[in-house]
Amino acid sequence: MASIELRSVSRIFGAGAQAIRAVDRIDLRVEDGEFMIFLGPSGCGKSTTLRMIAGLEPVSEGELLIDGVRVNDIDPAERDLAIVFQNYALYPHMSVRKNMAFGLKLRGMAEAEIGSRIARVAETLGVEALLDRRPAQLSGGQRQRVALGRALVREPRAFLLDEPLSNLDAKLRSVMRTELIKLHRTLGTTMIHVTHDQVEAMTMGTRICIMRGGEIVQVGRPQDVYREPVDTFVAGFLATPPMNLLPARLDVADGALRLRIEGQEIALPLASRPGWARHAGRDVILGLRPEDLHEAPVGAATAALDCTIETVEALGPETILTLRLGRDGTELAARLPPEGDWRIGAALRLHADTSKLHLFDPETTRSIPGN
Amino acid sequence: MRSARGAALLRHLILGGFSAVIAMPLLWVLRVSLTDKATAYRLPPEIGEIGLQNYVEVFTAFDFTRWFGNSVTVAVLATLVSLPAAAMMAYAAARFRTGGWPLMLGVLASQMIPPIVLVLPMFLVFTTLVPVPGLVAITIAHVAINLPFMAWIMASFFDADTRMLEEAARCDGATRWQAFTRITVPVAMPGIIAAGLLGFILSWNEFLYALLLGNHSSQTLAVGLASLETHAGVNIAPLAAATLLALAPVLLLLPFLQTYLVKGLSLGALK
Repeated sequence: MASIELRSVSRIFGAGAQAIRAVDRIDLRVEDGEFMIFLGPSGCGKSTTLRMIAGLEPVSEGELLIDGVRVNDIDPAERDLAIVFQNYALYPHMSVRKNMAFGLKLRGMAEAEIGSRIARVAETLGVEALLDRRPAQLSGGQRQRVALGRALVREPRAFLLDEPLSNLDAKLRSVMRTELIKLHRTLGTTMIHVTHDQVEAMTMGTRICIMRGGEIVQVGRPQDVYREPVDTFVAGFLATPPMNLLPARLDVADGALRLRIEGQEIALPLASRPGWARHAGRDVILGLRPEDLHEAPVGAATAALDCTIETVEALGPETILTLRLGRDGTELAARLPPEGDWRIGAALRLHADTSKLHLFDPETTRSIPGN
Repeated sequence: MRSARGAALLRHLILGGFSAVIAMPLLWVLRVSLTDKATAYRLPPEIGEIGLQNYVEVFTAFDFTRWFGNSVTVAVLATLVSLPAAAMMAYAAARFRTGGWPLMLGVLASQMIPPIVLVLPMFLVFTTLVPVPGLVAITIAHVAINLPFMAWIMASFFDADTRMLEEAARCDGATRWQAFTRITVPVAMPGIIAAGLLGFILSWNEFLYALLLGNHSSQTLAVGLASLETHAGVNIAPLAAATLLALAPVLLLLPFLQTYLVKGLSLGALK
């Protein structure tokens, strides 16, 4: 088991004027036994960061430490980390058994010990019957298990998972997600999981590290990042549908904060968000999660918004409505209970839970603290 | 239905025509190899009395066995020496961009130099600077022409897929050399074999260097066959028989070449 620390780490491709900073001076500490998720859109630098940790990509600037020891110049073979790739990277000319044994043989482990480790891991992952098959004879899900088994059998200091679930179908992905969570709980080994799937990020990790353009935007426990996004990027990236971001104008009048959104108004007591008063008289971005919009008022802290229904997605346990503010204003989404008779084009009055509102500065896109 | 059959017939007629153009010279050589000299030159062509006397004569009246042995020695040695070196060169170019595009362009350009241009410097090198026996000189020359050719073919086999497998191996604890020899080479083996077979055939058929760098005792098949064309006339019937015998190894290798070349080119389908 290991802690992994990145100190102002950068990865620069090219040189001079054409140099590209794929990862730009990031600082992060992954604690021993933690399940860290690197989340972000394609090209945000999450895989490059993982590859730097694995030793497959050189660290251009900064320091990378594993268990407090600088490993910038240590060969991947000596870092004792196991990586599971998106396309599994199973050795096609070897059987499943040999794939699993490869790393152990290189370390000079005795045949008997190799055999017992493979048997134990194969049983855990349910791949005993596949041990003598070649990768080409396996289905996608089986290959994924074998790739995981090859990593597990080594009992490394940490597991690095580079989007290992993204090639699986939705059902299998959900099963493997649960299995990985269980595995982490059983082993207690440090895991870093790279994904662009926010469901994986929310459900699997003890902490999420959200990246954009080679920089870390926010690090925190999934619920904290969800509840308190630091900027509009995080607010718009997590969850499906994401947080509604509506252009608004903030004023303070009669001891109340008044948010005017395309002719409609949401009022809330000044005392509930005193910090917002500093932005009075300015344009802001109002953040509102789809699940914080309701059909009926919820307690006293609600404000009505008149909308027009644009699409209705009945998902079974819930229904997602896409709406326009007013008749043809900004688009927003609402997550409502499944029962309801909604017709496209009809007007609908929704009630926003004003205790769950977020405000962002349109210039910096940063969250405006309420206190 | 009728038009479809007509189209198919037309296609086959055209393809048959092309096939005949390719097959005719070989069939002609086959006919000549089975007849006597007088019948061989007769027009319109006659089959005459068929026999294997020319094949017997090839072995009894000429040094065919030695030529064959020399060709096998040169082609096998040249392939065995150039193949691993070419694999490593192709790997370096594909993985580290060693030499960048100028190197690979240079490699390709070297294939465009007329062989006659290089013969004189090579002749001087092997006769004055580093005098070596004829067979060794021919083998070295063949390594020199085969190596860049093989490297050029193999560069595409060490692509992104083998790179990822290698990365997996390195994280598994393999050094770069172990990853190359235990993972990359076995995975790219069909392509490497195909390149080796192509190199072997190139060396087997090579004439110019073998003629000018060798001597009487180091004559390869290509040179030996040419020697049947003498001032006293062409020994056409034994020449035809010897040509077909010289073709035999290449014909035997072709099915393997096709198989491995296709496998090599489809290495991307590993996943």
